[in-house]
Amino acid sequence: MEIRYRIQSFLKKPHNIILLVVFMLLCYLTLVPMATMIRDTVLVHVGEAKRLKLPAFSYTLEHWRKVLVDATSLNIFYKPFLNSLLTSLGACLIALVLGGGFAWFVTRTNMRWKGILSSLCIFPYIMPSWTLALAWFNLFKNSLVGGSPGIISALTGIQTPNWLAYGPFPIAVVTGLHYAPFAYIMIGGILRNMDANLEEAALMLNASRFRIMYRITIPIVIPAVLSTFLLVFSSAMSSFAVPTFLGLPVRYQVLTTQLYRTLNGLNPGQGYVIALLMIILGVSILALNQKIIGKRKNYTTVTGKSSNIALVNLKKMRTPISIIIAVILFCVSVLPLLSFALESVILHPGDYSFDNFTLQFWFGTAEQNSMANSEPGLLLNPKLYSSLWHSVKLAISCAVCAGTIGFLAGYAIVRGRGTRLAEYVNNLAFFPYLMPSMAFSAIYLSMFAVRRGPVPALYGTFLLLVVTGTVKYLPFASRSGINAMFQLSKEIEEAGTILGVGWFKRMTRLVIPIQKSSFISGYLLPFTSCMRELSLFILLMTPNNQVLTTLLYYYNEKGWNQYSNGINLLIVIIVICINSIVNKVTGASIDKGIGG
Amino acid sequence: MKKYRIAILFMLLAVLPAMIFAGGSKEQQTTKPAEKEVTADEPTRDELIKQAQAEGTLMIYSPSSRHAKVGAKFGELYGLKVEVVQLKDTEMVEKISKEAAANIDAADVVFCQDGGRVYSELIEPGYVKSYCPPSLRDIIPAKYQNPQVWDICTKQIIFNSEKSTEQPIKNVWELTEPQWKGKVQFKDPFGEGVNMNFLTMLTKPEQAEKLAAAYKNRYGKDIVLTTPNAGYEWIKAFYNNGLLLGKSDTTMSEAIGAKGQKDQLMGLFTLNKLRSAKDKNLALQTCYNVEPFTGFYYPIYTFIPSNSRNPAAAKLFIEYCLTEGYAAWNELGDYSPNPQNKNTEDPIQISQWAEWLVWEDPQWVSEARVDVEEFINSIM
Repeated sequence: MEIRYRIQSFLKKPHNIILLVVFMLLCYLTLVPMATMIRDTVLVHVGEAKRLKLPAFSYTLEHWRKVLVDATSLNIFYKPFLNSLLTSLGACLIALVLGGGFAWFVTRTNMRWKGILSSLCIFPYIMPSWTLALAWFNLFKNSLVGGSPGIISALTGIQTPNWLAYGPFPIAVVTGLHYAPFAYIMIGGILRNMDANLEEAALMLNASRFRIMYRITIPIVIPAVLSTFLLVFSSAMSSFAVPTFLGLPVRYQVLTTQLYRTLNGLNPGQGYVIALLMIILGVSILALNQKIIGKRKNYTTVTGKSSNIALVNLKKMRTPISIIIAVILFCVSVLPLLSFALESVILHPGDYSFDNFTLQFWFGTAEQNSMANSEPGLLLNPKLYSSLWHSVKLAISCAVCAGTIGFLAGYAIVRGRGTRLAEYVNNLAFFPYLMPSMAFSAIYLSMFAVRRGPVPALYGTFLLLVVTGTVKYLPFASRSGINAMFQLSKEIEEAGTILGVGWFKRMTRLVIPIQKSSFISGYLLPFTSCMRELSLFILLMTPNNQVLTTLLYYYNEKGWNQYSNGINLLIVIIVICINSIVNKVTGASIDKGIGG
Repeated sequence: MKKYRIAILFMLLAVLPAMIFAGGSKEQQTTKPAEKEVTADEPTRDELIKQAQAEGTLMIYSPSSRHAKVGAKFGELYGLKVEVVQLKDTEMVEKISKEAAANIDAADVVFCQDGGRVYSELIEPGYVKSYCPPSLRDIIPAKYQNPQVWDICTKQIIFNSEKSTEQPIKNVWELTEPQWKGKVQFKDPFGEGVNMNFLTMLTKPEQAEKLAAAYKNRYGKDIVLTTPNAGYEWIKAFYNNGLLLGKSDTTMSEAIGAKGQKDQLMGLFTLNKLRSAKDKNLALQTCYNVEPFTGFYYPIYTFIPSNSRNPAAAKLFIEYCLTEGYAAWNELGDYSPNPQNKNTEDPIQISQWAEWLVWEDPQWVSEARVDVEEFINSIM
């Protein structure tokens, strides 16, 4: 009797039902893949059965031995692991210094052109990260790889040193630049919402600017810095495309390139071991994050932010500093775009003379483009339009699914705070973030290749892409859902409950309207990430549902750089347009998504 | 009650758009088993045509974009519905094996390369069957029939010929000498299986012996082994001589062939890239008759998957692609196993290249490739 009563009262609360449903969904979509993956690490795969002298699909610990304690382990795992650590730490440092520093200038000083500069700052995050790597490569490459010289060498005649052109340094820099907007958004969010009274009080007590910064601002920002550090660190650890482009010429291996080599070779077992180790690392990072920050995620709940924050007056330095920052942002955000535009209109790569310019790769007919296998110019190319349609369709579907589930999960997690179920859902929703995209999609591929129970074979369908994208980007959406709900005091909804307003109406009339812009921001981040995602979809894609990034990759592999550069430009422009339309109409923006 | 019904409704709402959008893609059924296996009890050609016309849509998987046009032409010829899906080699093997294992209605004809994986992951488990049309069995050399080869691609040692068109090397051991340090490029064998298969073939005893003999010819003494055989020894020396790994044949050809470079570069990539060399202003020329090999040649096989629902049309299409349909690929660097399709762009026919290039033996490759992969990992 008592149990029945407890269940009834449990089910009476809508957030419990949401938690339960989301919990079951996430178990199926994250824990089952995880279990499959663990099984794959000890399974004898078809391709290796003969060699191991064991029947296919029996079990063995051989993969673990090879990766961890064999003579070749040093090259298979430990060296790439150290390289991954090194480049990821470097990337974090760069992202934090650039993104965090910029956030401070925007929120705390009277720097000029704040609006335009902070929109520019997001660009590197919108571009697929490997296209930034490509831009770096075009700029700095030297005679090691042969071919036409890089732009620097061509202009100055100086051979760039290898360390600058390939290997750990450029990998760290490019990854760092790519995630700097992330740091800007998160740290900027805290700085903006921070109670300025603290600083003002210090100011009144005659504390020096430096002392305020050192004793007040930094300690308040530290948790955000730490979260940013850990998020960027785990993203950098699982980034694949940048190390592939910039590491291969000097054979610099990191964990993800090693993962690709083993998954793509005849040794998937070893690949899954590496993937699993990466996940374990990610989980420990997450645990560390929670331990340090503790359960008080309440830095976002600081109330009544005072509007008259005394901005640091840069005085004479105002214009010079603004110019320096503008120049840096120009180099990072606009220059790559210009280089994409430029590369898409030259006939022979490397020759920038005027008569080498052509618009045939944009407007040419198939006959005019015989050197590129008679691909019609981009704007006349049906492939472009179909993949554009698929991209937008996919990004919107993923954003709608991830955003809605994330919002509901955020709502339920905050309302059910303190219960174990809420805690589970909170962690599960973040879990996909820690899975390397490539391993994630490899597992989804084998999970959904055949019908399992009521779940039909989804491989090759558009739905599978939507499911994969939704789960992978759920962490973004659920984070922003949680943040939005933390900001909303419980009393508002309680008032509704007391007046007998139903749950659905409370959501649509109270919660959603109040937090509309945060709510919509939760959709923008999955949308943007989806538009520029490559490694997650490349395994699951079939040419019938090609998206822009896979088309871009295809052209790039074929060596038709004019097309790939053109598509790159288009992706950035489309994402910027859609984001700014949403921003104009609803007031939501990407930066509100994570930072709150 | 009402409250959580609404909650569930909301959840459904979240999943709905995905379902709507997914509606357009191909429905796959798991219910129907394969009707007929590809067997030796053979109908005549006319009977095949009749059967094919009674079958459903012919589904083709191919790595080549040109199959789309050829498939459409074939469809017109016999009044059949044809659909072509373009896939990369790694995805192809993955997809075919999964679909065949689940026996769903998917591909009827597949074209795939990478013998190492094809042999162990498709042929051995019985997911695909090889088919040679009866009309061609006496014409196509036996070595290309089991499994059936549809197209032969070649990768040669190709050099920058801007300053000198004279062939720079006569023996592959020269590639391991100081004068070529850092000037040779090879596609990352972990990125494309056929390159790894080539390295694996070098470790096959007969190839290793040839390499040992070439060593003796060059240096006048027997090779001293630090690895299992001369094949491994060459791979190690090749890698350790500053070998530059490339990402794609196209970018490699551009890097090697670009004019105005101080050093002469060389690389092992597909001869096909020489077709566009003039358009791209590249100076490229291939080597001939290097001791003991000038590069390698590898097949793209054609198969009928065990889950094919339209085997008659599949057989007709394979025949078509081995005969008149091949014209679409007949160019420099691609060769038909059917000697009646003479290559029109290369004065050297595949029978000649076959003597100079290393062939891919799928069985050997499937046995030894993992060892070679591990070996390369250890010398990187």
